[in-house]
Amino acid sequence: MTESSERITCQEVTELVNDYIERTLSSHEMALFEQHLNFCDGCDWYVDQMRVTIAAVGRIEPAEPPPEVRDKLLSAFRDRSRS
Amino acid sequence: MAEATLESPDPAAAEAALLERLRAGDEPAFEALVARHYATMLAVAQTYVKGRSVAEEVVQEAWLGVIKGLDRFEGRSSLKTWILSILVNQAKTRGAREARSVPFAALAPEGDEPAVDPDRFRGPNESYPGHWRAFPGDWGRSADTTVQDRETLRVVMGAIKDLPATQQTVIRMRDVEGYTSEEVCAALDVSEANQRVLLHRARSRVRSALERHFDD
Repeated sequence: MTESSERITCQEVTELVNDYIERTLSSHEMALFEQHLNFCDGCDWYVDQMRVTIAAVGRIEPAEPPPEVRDKLLSAFRDRSRS
Repeated sequence: MAEATLESPDPAAAEAALLERLRAGDEPAFEALVARHYATMLAVAQTYVKGRSVAEEVVQEAWLGVIKGLDRFEGRSSLKTWILSILVNQAKTRGAREARSVPFAALAPEGDEPAVDPDRFRGPNESYPGHWRAFPGDWGRSADTTVQDRETLRVVMGAIKDLPATQQTVIRMRDVEGYTSEEVCAALDVSEANQRVLLHRARSRVRSALERHFDD
């Protein structure tokens, strides 16, 4: 494989990173992106940072409904079971 | 045959078991279901109707629809997709009567909002334009503990709260609740391209908040 003279910058990496993680880059963009990561530790770390961010967001517990809403819905659920 | 439990490694079996418990009137199962989906439903509803209290009403009406429909649900989609479709129908009906809270144009990401402060990259007249002036930090070694840390979660939650409503809804659905991009597009009535940009901006802002936190 010959190396293309085409390059993407670090700044472009920070804009493409989520398309890279989501696998929505074209195969050409993907090749340029990975080529960049091969020689740039800073961008490699940046991609890692984004993955850590996503993992951290994934650990959030969704906010629960207020107790009065929960009770109201529970009682509707109970009525269904009785009928 | 052994009864499938909620801890079952097979998601389809776990879902079938959950559905069975719900139909049998299992209250803790219903309570857990509400707790799991309430926040996302509220966020989605708020993109259709004006004001939090109307959105809360829409979510409650949707749950009443879910309760009524439990016996009719045929499992052709996942339970959460079905719940969300009931919510969106309810929200659209309500939203059509009023003005949509977030105008459709505002759902499209507008203008440039760089993921990283442009000053952190070399300028056009310097050598290596567009490259880092100083590398971002290597979080690698501490990443596992970082993600577990309560303080980290507090920062993440704060950053999400500060996001514009649509970005907030997209990152919650994708990264907290695990909805697919197709489900997000359907729920919010946005294009795939817009969904991607909204998610990218949301994640980039949360990353920046974490970076500021770690640099302190």
